[in-house]
Amino acid sequence: MDDRMLDEYRREPDPRFASELRDRLRRLERRAFPSRRATRIFAAVAAAAAITVVFAVPSVRVSAQAVLDVFRVKRFAAVEFKESRRDLLASIDKERGFLVFDQQEKVLDPGPPTYVASREAATAKAGFEVSTPSFLPPGMAADSVFVQGEAAARMAVSESKLRSLLERLDLKDVTVPAGLDGHWVELRKPPVVMQRFKSERRRAMFLQAPSPEVTLPAGWNLTQLGEIGLRILGLDARAAKRIAKATDWRSTLLVPLPMNATSFRQVTVRGQSGLLIMTTGEPAADGKRHREKTILMWSAGDRIFFLQGDLDGKELVRMAESVS
Amino acid sequence: MANGEATLARLWSWTRQAGEIDWDAAYAEALPRVYNFFRYRVGDGPLAEDLTSVTFEKAWRAREQYRRDRAAFGTWLFAVARNVAVDHFRSHRATVPLEEIEELPGGPTPEDIAVRRSDHERLGRLLARRSDREREFLALKYGSEFTNREIARMMGLSESNVGTILHRAVEALRADWDR
Repeated sequence: MDDRMLDEYRREPDPRFASELRDRLRRLERRAFPSRRATRIFAAVAAAAAITVVFAVPSVRVSAQAVLDVFRVKRFAAVEFKESRRDLLASIDKERGFLVFDQQEKVLDPGPPTYVASREAATAKAGFEVSTPSFLPPGMAADSVFVQGEAAARMAVSESKLRSLLERLDLKDVTVPAGLDGHWVELRKPPVVMQRFKSERRRAMFLQAPSPEVTLPAGWNLTQLGEIGLRILGLDARAAKRIAKATDWRSTLLVPLPMNATSFRQVTVRGQSGLLIMTTGEPAADGKRHREKTILMWSAGDRIFFLQGDLDGKELVRMAESVS
Repeated sequence: MANGEATLARLWSWTRQAGEIDWDAAYAEALPRVYNFFRYRVGDGPLAEDLTSVTFEKAWRAREQYRRDRAAFGTWLFAVARNVAVDHFRSHRATVPLEEIEELPGGPTPEDIAVRRSDHERLGRLLARRSDREREFLALKYGSEFTNREIARMMGLSESNVGTILHRAVEALRADWDR
């Protein structure tokens, strides 16, 4: 009797048992999994859209009758900032609720994401023609489709909360324009369709939706507000001013880079500008290795797309190029 | 839309999770290790499968508790598995049959298989005689293929302690074998 014999005592689980257990887990997954992921991703898009405009402090008070401005995502741009600032903001948000809002009204509840049998069923449920990539990496095939309904909410901006936040972050040189209090920012998140693809070893997730919209009173100085937002994210005064001036705040969604991002770059997808982010991914089940993940986001027409998987950048872009 | 979706912190939480766990991949990698952890603890047969199922289902339902910055997924999953084992032994003391060794993978000759099957059956019976604690160490080391360092971290012991415990457990098994 030796170590070899103890090693050889190991055995692969019965394939039928493995398959049945996986099916049971997948049923749980279908009830719960997409909710968390899809909500997170598109909540993030909606949140980022709100962040883009939330600092929109009017230089002059805007009347309630003013024509509304509408923000729609046309392009994505990455912004890097320090992990410590990210943690600090998260902690401030946790301790006092909303960072810069003091009221929120849910107008439309999206309900839980639901599993649908096919892309055609997703089209019928979501109310728009669902696209899908015609190219998939070798061995990869369509796995499942989910749809989450439309959501809408509105939030009232709190000038005092913004002031307090700036104070907490020690941003003494940032001026908060008057006339902010009580203005409502409205968010609308259209239905989202999520398609999952997989092969034996690799996975990819493809999400699409009409662009979320943020509506706000016209006349707000978005460049000024964007600059304040960038300062809050931790950029220095000069960088914040430069980026704020160069950004079209009515159509550019700033994407804070994930903490595990290793690199990012702008790419072209079907003639449109896209953002490709490489990450180290999450730890593998053995806790030692990390599965590298690549994220690609782009827009076309009124639609935004998000593709993520443990594929390399070229494969992901090729998949994206084949979306029709 | 959930409360707070439109706050910056929700964005942070997403960016933290952008490379979210791929459950399919995690399942494929972890299943044999968890299953063998239980085989070394409770023997072959349906019980190891049942406890494996309970572990994965618990892990799945409690996945919100998992935080990547606290522990690697594998470590967390095995914390669940170990709790499942503790619960099982608490309610089923002295019912640890390790005799049911089934067929081996193909390849060797029928004679080899017969010898090996016999050896494995015997090993199973000898494992069943070891204490719960020794079996847990043997299961983590040989069933789930953790290193001594990983086991030490998991059990809150030093690496040399783990080495000693394993050495003694294997020696005891060997002595039983040669008896």
